Amino acid sequence: MHGVKRVRQSAEASKIREYLALTDEVLAKKAAEDWSREALSLTTRLLQINPEFYTVWNYRRNILLQGVFPESSPADINDLLTDDLSMTTLALKMHPKVYWIWNHRRWCLENVPDGPGTDAEGDINGWRKTNWENELFVVDKMLDADSRNFHAWSYRRYVLARMPDARSETAELAYTTRKIEANFSNFSAWHQRSKLLSSLWGSGKLECSKSKEEEFELVRNAMYTDPNDQSVWIYHRWLMGTGEEKEILDREIAIIQELLDEQSDSKWCMESLVHYKRLLLQKHSSIIDVGNVTNDCRQLLRGLRELDPARRQRYEDIDVSNEGQPEMSNTIRHS
Amino acid sequence: MSTELLTALHVSYIQNLGNSTDDLMYHLTAHLRLNAIYWGLTALCIMGHPDALDKEDVIRFVESCWDEKAGGFGAHPAHDAHIHPTLSAIQILITYDALDRLDVPRVVKFILSLQQPSGVFAGDSFGEIDTRFSYIAVNALSLLGCLDQLDKDKTVEYIKQCRNFDGGFGSTIGAESHAAQVTVCVAALTILDRLDEVDIETLAWWLAERQLPNGGLNGRPEKLEDVCYSYWVLSALSILDKVAWIDSEKLTSFILSAQDIEKGGIADRPGDMVDVFHTQFGIAGLSILGYPGLVELDPVYCMPAPIIEAKGLRKGRFRTARND
Repeated sequence: MHGVKRVRQSAEASKIREYLALTDEVLAKKAAEDWSREALSLTTRLLQINPEFYTVWNYRRNILLQGVFPESSPADINDLLTDDLSMTTLALKMHPKVYWIWNHRRWCLENVPDGPGTDAEGDINGWRKTNWENELFVVDKMLDADSRNFHAWSYRRYVLARMPDARSETAELAYTTRKIEANFSNFSAWHQRSKLLSSLWGSGKLECSKSKEEEFELVRNAMYTDPNDQSVWIYHRWLMGTGEEKEILDREIAIIQELLDEQSDSKWCMESLVHYKRLLLQKHSSIIDVGNVTNDCRQLLRGLRELDPARRQRYEDIDVSNEGQPEMSNTIRHS
Repeated sequence: MSTELLTALHVSYIQNLGNSTDDLMYHLTAHLRLNAIYWGLTALCIMGHPDALDKEDVIRFVESCWDEKAGGFGAHPAHDAHIHPTLSAIQILITYDALDRLDVPRVVKFILSLQQPSGVFAGDSFGEIDTRFSYIAVNALSLLGCLDQLDKDKTVEYIKQCRNFDGGFGSTIGAESHAAQVTVCVAALTILDRLDEVDIETLAWWLAERQLPNGGLNGRPEKLEDVCYSYWVLSALSILDKVAWIDSEKLTSFILSAQDIEKGGIADRPGDMVDVFHTQFGIAGLSILGYPGLVELDPVYCMPAPIIEAKGLRKGRFRTARND
């Protein structure tokens, strides 16, 4: 054991010496404002070892901006940036959650020059199109590897918002459907979907009530597949919104009740029933049996206290006794 | 596995962090050095050992991280200024009551220069934006007593747009709610006296649902638990006065089970390698839970409460488990 340890240590010691020497060399060149290609390749080496060294990413960008780009043709600049994008694709595969790598890609994309043609020839955006299209492909791959990587999702939204040939929101909606069908637990995809649908409904590109019904259908399948998966229930709560439409509240309450009858220990069925019944009390008290609904809520909350003791205090704090009062519902309606 | 906090071991673990120069990882994390000193020092203060590091050594190190060109702090000597290590420097100097060693007007200028037209802050001159940086700016300006120089409405306006239907907040407009982003946004709004922008009942529900059957907390729905969320989720619950909405006992056991019982330090989960980040956030979580013998942590600033109290910056009334 001791022998093994010693060998490992000396290997580590030489790695440390090498790393520190390289760091010193790069930082010295940086201090001397050395914008040469030699310095550029040293930053490549250092960043391959440590992609979190933000100062060296900054230095690399300054070398490109101050030293390399001014003496390069637009085609060369495009090649250099494409190379940096390839280099960081490899880095991302090993370090998918390093902010600095994702940041550098943004900088590369934002600095792709006009070309290869001119405005008159019509392909002034050619290089940009190629690079941004490829970016969506890279981010697809990153989300295939880890479908919850929030860096990748944020980056995806950034690419979609800025790519020269905008991708339709409907196409992106189809992407989230694929992600959700692959795994109902992927709340990141549900979240993306909620943002897309808000926009599509708002702009009238999708007919709201028809599309909403399709969403209820999708979410119902997911609920029945795994009633314990909170992603689905949180999304369902978004779909229900503030509960203005009583028919939808009634219908969904009935569906969830049916599921609860089959799975009597489903916390999320009970939790959701309390929430939607409270919406009935708050928004529709004049046309419901307030006493009955209030009692349902109390009974469900008692059940939840037993079933989910970790959050018992929350269930105790929910006070439904005044929620069905007309004054109360008026206040909420008018606020 | 231990059922109590191994304070002496954690103190010596933190004291020895600076001596791990024969570990490659020590050098690979130089870009986090100043942050790490803040984490370590805060954990020591919370454990009641504020003098465990050599104060003058630490202050000199902080000074050596100053980036004269930018007017802010890098995480390490010769590293570029960034808003995050700049906050760490301020926090360390305030903890040591050594703010006289800081060029306050220049630091304030550096921080204010990072606000974008949308109201969000960038981390540095290359412009990565994130609500984390908005919080850092608000926190730092508040600690320096210079909050009056900030365009508060613009700052709040951006944070507001990051709020999602689940009550949580994301890193940028459109991003998914994430417990760490929730805390930075809620804490920034608290400092700015704008908690009215938070849907407290919905958010506290979402936060309470971060607790998993093993007692640990996750950062997003259907993700794994991690000790650092003991701070991120709890501090937000504490600001909202809803710590009682999760099971404190189970969370305490989970944090304690992630301790390294031989060498000290706390890991993200039981059995993993420890680091100073998880050590600090585990201890911070225990403090919010009212673990016996710990100094109270201010959940808004993530610094020892007596220091924030002395500066007159305590916000709201923080109901921790110890007052229940």
